[in-house]
Amino acid sequence: MSILNSVFNPVFTRELQHRIRSWQSLAAMLCVAGGSILLVLMRWPTDQRVDLVSQAASLVFRPLGLALCLFVMFLAPAFPATSLVVERRNATLPLLLNSPCKPWQIYLGKLLSNSMIAFWLIASALPAIAACFAMGGISIGDHILPLIVVLTVMCVQYSAIGLWISSRVSSPETSLRWTYAAIVFLVLLSIGPLVFTGQLANWKAQLATALSTLSPLSAVLSVTGSEAAASSIGLSTSWREFSVVGLLLALLFSAATIWQIHPTRLERSRPSGRVIDPSKKSMGSRFARRLMFLVDPNKRKTAIPWFANPVMVKEFRTRKMGRLHWLVRIVMFCILTSLALTILAATGTVSWGVEQIAVALVLMQIALLMIVGPSLGASLIAAEVENGGWTLLRATPFSTLRVLSGKLASVLLTLLIVLLATIPGYMVMGYIQPTLSGQISNVLLSLLMAVLLIVSVSACISSLTRTTAVATLASYSVLMLLFCGTMLFWLARGKPFGPLLVERVLYFNPVAVALSEMETPGFAEYNLAPTGWYVSAGISALCLTMLALRTWRMMKPD
Amino acid sequence: MASDPVVVIENLSKRYGDFCALDQLSIQVDKGQILGFIGPNGAGKTTTIKILVGLSRPSSGRALINGIDCSRETSKIKQLVGYMPDKFGSYDNMRVHEYLDFFGALFGIRGAARRKRIDAVLEQTGATYMVDRYVESLSHGMQQRIGIARTLLHDPDVLILDEPANGLDPQARIEMREILLQLADQGKTLIVTSHILPELSRICNVVAIVTEGKLRAFGPLQQVMRSLCPARQFEVQLIRELDLPVAQRIIEDQIKSPVSISNRELMLRFPTAESEEQLSRILKLLIDQGVAVGQFRELAGDLEDAFMSVTKAQRMSNESVEGI
Repeated sequence: MSILNSVFNPVFTRELQHRIRSWQSLAAMLCVAGGSILLVLMRWPTDQRVDLVSQAASLVFRPLGLALCLFVMFLAPAFPATSLVVERRNATLPLLLNSPCKPWQIYLGKLLSNSMIAFWLIASALPAIAACFAMGGISIGDHILPLIVVLTVMCVQYSAIGLWISSRVSSPETSLRWTYAAIVFLVLLSIGPLVFTGQLANWKAQLATALSTLSPLSAVLSVTGSEAAASSIGLSTSWREFSVVGLLLALLFSAATIWQIHPTRLERSRPSGRVIDPSKKSMGSRFARRLMFLVDPNKRKTAIPWFANPVMVKEFRTRKMGRLHWLVRIVMFCILTSLALTILAATGTVSWGVEQIAVALVLMQIALLMIVGPSLGASLIAAEVENGGWTLLRATPFSTLRVLSGKLASVLLTLLIVLLATIPGYMVMGYIQPTLSGQISNVLLSLLMAVLLIVSVSACISSLTRTTAVATLASYSVLMLLFCGTMLFWLARGKPFGPLLVERVLYFNPVAVALSEMETPGFAEYNLAPTGWYVSAGISALCLTMLALRTWRMMKPD
Repeated sequence: MASDPVVVIENLSKRYGDFCALDQLSIQVDKGQILGFIGPNGAGKTTTIKILVGLSRPSSGRALINGIDCSRETSKIKQLVGYMPDKFGSYDNMRVHEYLDFFGALFGIRGAARRKRIDAVLEQTGATYMVDRYVESLSHGMQQRIGIARTLLHDPDVLILDEPANGLDPQARIEMREILLQLADQGKTLIVTSHILPELSRICNVVAIVTEGKLRAFGPLQQVMRSLCPARQFEVQLIRELDLPVAQRIIEDQIKSPVSISNRELMLRFPTAESEEQLSRILKLLIDQGVAVGQFRELAGDLEDAFMSVTKAQRMSNESVEGI
């Protein structure tokens, strides 16, 4: 009894009540329930014939399983990723630590309540799963139960990761950004090495196979009856293996977070800032520093030049990775990765052609843009309102147009830098296979559209919300719906969705347009450009108009 | 010191639907004066301030700074006014000189002039040593100094400070007071709101008390206090405890109102509007009756009493209206 009281403590009750009563939970539950019911309705047998092989059930169960996996990926870590950092910001964590509640009880209260919310979302899809079972051909032991176990493990694992990151960073938006980056790594990037080394039989391939067990994709594909799709890219992790690895990882992160929830460890001294005044250094020392650092982070910054938009410069300076020395590192990383991928193709270490490498490049770029873009865009207006800077901006003679252009330019430039850094890779590809030049320029145009879409949607959401955490979460959700949700229609192409519907849905996804331009298998049959570009440009224009109107209203006197 | 009015507020009203945030407010502040703007939470102080800095439009009436209409020529007003809201408005990962450089650029100060101005305002506020520190790493008192430095960047004629002393320790409060007095000496006109009334009474020469959007009192500090607290407070310190009942009876007979007694301190306190002659007669009577008087003195009235008197009158008026 006392153990139960310790686990289901007041922290658990408060968190659970707080989350359940939020409109976000209700919206997420309605999304899951509505989406899954719609999917079942589309394939519900209406004719009098008996489906002996029960194909209809598996046709619904497959996309349903993947859709639930996608929901868990982006909804399960949303609340835990802001939980501890918000407690720290509001100074309520010391109050909790000052109570008789032990750090592990506080942690368990938060982990269980957040996992339960995510599980509650899965439960709202149970009627749809039950309907699949009723259609026949789906068994509880082989399909339904393993899927629920995998999704539950994902909930616990991602909640634990979100809580750990939340205990380490200083703002909710940073926590959300890092948490989603970690999840994208676990789900997608962890299978990358296996894709490259799949056909080899050495220690590298073994290492890549071990790394791929972190991803739930293989487990979800196998329990939903898509083993062939999994094995085509070398994935062989069973749901049992994934569950064990996932729970071990959750335990590891839980231990690290409980260790972190301690008054002395949470109380970190604020960096006061060390600056080297170059005017006080000798010429030789200055030259040596320039040679060593290229861009010296400790050098006092010069005044904002007259030709630069001060708001844009401020946006770059307030980002930890917006400083020039960080941007140089990010650009170098992108250049080296794209060149490495291209060299891999050219030297024939793997049997991939240039087209496949281009696909890998596109996916890598989109992953990077999707991790960085929404959180940057979502903080543009909401963060300024939240920290009181908006009132100060309004009290200056700076015009709405210049404020908005400075803010948008700061995000657009960052994402374009990431995009342009991979140009050398594409150039090498064009050199190897000159016939690809036209396709490469179309791919780059599609990626440009993706950048525009990410910036406009997230900035628009930012102007509509009051807190950065909500804006960040909403931006990730909407963009994930556009970039990954539309892909679910593609995964279920032909059955249950017809080619025309899939093509129309894919117009909304600039990544799909890029992949179709590269004639990637599965996308080559769709003719998505230029309509896809017009759709992206249209959505972006709509969002930017809304953003401009909203910003103008916020800047003018009340 | 008083000259032409710099800030003129005439019959200013602001309504949000049925709710009246400001009702016919009229105030004038001269150059170099410090106006203490006092009122309980929700009284309409911030609404008035927002109209003055061009962030809000009045429903009726007008506010002028140096003859310029605050709601019609907002861009000119923003150059004339330095505004420090109650919330600091910090940015992460920004050093103090970068922070001031950013706001200097927003106000259109260019290149070398901006650098010189940053140095000057940091020196003026005694914050030069913080120049390379991260803004978010500064203590609250330090941030308030940087806030004032920011308001001074474009050399405005009028400074409007919303709760500048809020949350400051005594040392930082004294330093803040000195900075504000120094700015008034330089000819700046200041409008300061604060809940720390003793602190405000030390710096302001004019006060305006608002409650429920209405101006309840306005004028020079002493004049307002005298008009709001006509009854002076006196206290009589005795030497022997046994004299307390005798002294109480004598004083109550003379002033015809109850006297409060502190047995522990051997002290009697009473409010009175009696003349000096009558008070000297009370003292003589006490001595004649053999009461051993240690001290007989008037307590200095303060802004808190004046404020409490206004809010109490308002409360009683509200209660009587509800009673009807």
